[in-house]
Amino acid sequence: MKGFRFRLYLISTATIALLTAAFASVYVITEMNGYRSTLEREGKLLATILAQNARLPLFAENREALSLLASASARHPSILFVSISNAEGQLLTEVRNRKDDVGDAIDMDVPITSPGTVLSPDAVLLGRATVDNKRVIGHVHLRLDTSGVREQLKELLVASLAIGTLFWINVSLLCYQILKRVTYSFKMLLRGIEEIGSGHLSTRVDLEGDDELARAANAINAMAASLELRELENLSLQEELLKAMKLEVQEEKKRVMARLIQTNKMTSLGLLLSSMAHEINNPNASIRFSGHMISKIWADVVPVLDRIREEEGDFYLGGVPFQTARTALSDNAVKIVENSERIARVVQGLREYGIGDATKGRPDFNLNDAVSAALSVLACQMKQNVQLRTALGSDVPAIAGSQQQIEQVLINLIMNAMQALPNACGEVDVTTRYERESDEVVVEVQDTGAGISAEIMERLFEPFFSTKLDRGGSGLGLYISQFIVAEHGGRLLLSSEPGNGTLARVIIPVKRGAALLGELVTAENKQHAADTVHQAG
Amino acid sequence: MRILRSLLAAILLVVPLPAMAYDILVLQSLHEKGYEEAVRGVRRECQASTRTIVLSDYAETDVTRIIREEHPRVIVAVGDRALAVAERVRGIPVLYMMALNPKPRQKATGVGMLLDPSRYLSVFDDIGAKRVGVVYDPARSGSYVRRAQTAARRSGIDLVLREVHSPKETPAMLDSLRGKVDALWMIPDVTAVSPASTEAYFLFSQAQSVPVVTFSDVYLSMGGAVALGIDRFDIGKQLGAMAESVLAGTPVDDIPPQTPRRVLPKTNDGVLRRLKMNSGLGGY
Repeated sequence: MKGFRFRLYLISTATIALLTAAFASVYVITEMNGYRSTLEREGKLLATILAQNARLPLFAENREALSLLASASARHPSILFVSISNAEGQLLTEVRNRKDDVGDAIDMDVPITSPGTVLSPDAVLLGRATVDNKRVIGHVHLRLDTSGVREQLKELLVASLAIGTLFWINVSLLCYQILKRVTYSFKMLLRGIEEIGSGHLSTRVDLEGDDELARAANAINAMAASLELRELENLSLQEELLKAMKLEVQEEKKRVMARLIQTNKMTSLGLLLSSMAHEINNPNASIRFSGHMISKIWADVVPVLDRIREEEGDFYLGGVPFQTARTALSDNAVKIVENSERIARVVQGLREYGIGDATKGRPDFNLNDAVSAALSVLACQMKQNVQLRTALGSDVPAIAGSQQQIEQVLINLIMNAMQALPNACGEVDVTTRYERESDEVVVEVQDTGAGISAEIMERLFEPFFSTKLDRGGSGLGLYISQFIVAEHGGRLLLSSEPGNGTLARVIIPVKRGAALLGELVTAENKQHAADTVHQAG
Repeated sequence: MRILRSLLAAILLVVPLPAMAYDILVLQSLHEKGYEEAVRGVRRECQASTRTIVLSDYAETDVTRIIREEHPRVIVAVGDRALAVAERVRGIPVLYMMALNPKPRQKATGVGMLLDPSRYLSVFDDIGAKRVGVVYDPARSGSYVRRAQTAARRSGIDLVLREVHSPKETPAMLDSLRGKVDALWMIPDVTAVSPASTEAYFLFSQAQSVPVVTFSDVYLSMGGAVALGIDRFDIGKQLGAMAESVLAGTPVDDIPPQTPRRVLPKTNDGVLRRLKMNSGLGGY
């Protein structure tokens, strides 16, 4: 600050000195020119007056009068020499004031003219007009002493120097006082800014007045107050943010835990299904074997029993006539086998859904079979008020891929459709068809449910996004389904309007699926496709 | 043939005569506004036939021949030079005007340009000037000054005379009048009043606080106090009456030279006020 003040002081004093010197120089030059000009004018005036006064004596050739006039003019201190001569150049009188060897002098020559507008008496009597015909009848010569100019110059220089120096000193002192006052305000302002800048936002710059610095100080004070307020608000917000983050982490933790639990449940369910399949398959195989055995044995027994009936007449078996029992037993044996096989298929389907079945990877499968298998898995989920209608196309060609994965996709879609039905009451249509133009097979699952809003529609394919987390949803169904369909070169499309139900379309190219066949088989042999999703997630 | 020639010559000589016949030949020195003004006055007053010849348009010998050949009854000479030329012609009465210093011979009379001295003396009497300084050239204004002196004596005014023979002498002569006069009388004397020396009168007037009575209002602007000017047109009329009289048979010698009868008085009130004089001077 001291340096700033010193620099300002130095600049101002130097500027004042320069200006003072410039003004003094201009003043001296102007004064000198004015003095010289005044001297010349004075000399010119004196010469003109002398010429005017000398006109008559010159006309009368009165040398005495001319001499008197010249002497009178020569008494002027600035005149060195006066002479009057006639028109022919003859010197009539001259007066030397003193030895005129003074160096710088101004010579001035003024003509003496006759009165130009005066007429002769005869011309006047004749009424002639007056014309100006001045005639030079002599000359007045003056020599002016300019030594006074030098003296004047010296005096002016000394006076200007003295006044200029005095002025400079006074103004410099004044400047110092002003700068001291001004820079004090600056110092106060800067100190305040530094304090505020170092973090002491409660500091205030105490400058009074209504000048720019005071206004700047007020602005800085206002800024500091604002910053202080903002800081308090920031602290408050940080605290709130921390609280919110803690709450959000807890909520997220809960959600993650719910997903982990759900995933664990699913895993457990898969294991349970596998275990159940194993536990059911063994007795079921025994039942089916027994059924077969009963049929075989009954087939062998029937001819014997027929001969016995022919021979002995009708008899009862198990409380019913042989004739009736003969058909019923055969039918029941067939039913045992059939139901056992059905149990085997259901168990196989549950097992394949739960843990997958690498052996099911086939080079091609019929989409209608996948639909039937999915429906058989879901048969136990069917509610009484849900009307499930199927329209399977007869010309749907076989496609390459994993039937089990496609079944999984269809189960997800049909389950979603049934869960979307309000109060578990409504219709679900499953349709398959073949699009010849694009060589694609299409499965459509249409429900008459509540539909999906646009906001939810945007997030449907996000992993772990579910509107049914509280009802056991994992948020992975559609995500996995889309992945599976994409793996088959197809696309899963959902279109819905709130209140108008939802249409899910699985479109799989026939040829593309064939091309992917090898990859799928290889991939399925290594691991389940959903595992990839889980790992990626 | 000889008879025919003589007859033709006679016809040529006789035919122009009626056209050339006139009573008054106006000889004008030069084309001058003042002269023409006076000639207009003559024509106004005199109805006789006139012919005007401006001398500056002719050679002097031609003019003399014309006068002899045309033989007018009266010659009106306008200006000094015209008067001199007219007086060379014998036998024809000459009436002059606008001549500053006429020296008429016999059979010549006219109206001068100088007012009667008594007119000026009346002015001096009015302003209470008893000593009046006059600078003059005796060769030019001697007779006029003598007449003035005679009249002044009658009026009780002392004319303090200073003779000059060259314009250069005027300032000195005026200087010699310091303290000796109550007024200056500037007479139209080209020696005493030259363009170069004219202001000496007014410087004297200023220095001595005496009024300058002059002959033209032109000098009022230079510092003159009173001017008694002449009326050139009236001079012409005055001469016209004289010409009528001559044409009527009055001998020229019986008619004495006259001074201008009409005076145009003018005053410089500022000068008079400074000199503490009454500006309401009477008629002259």
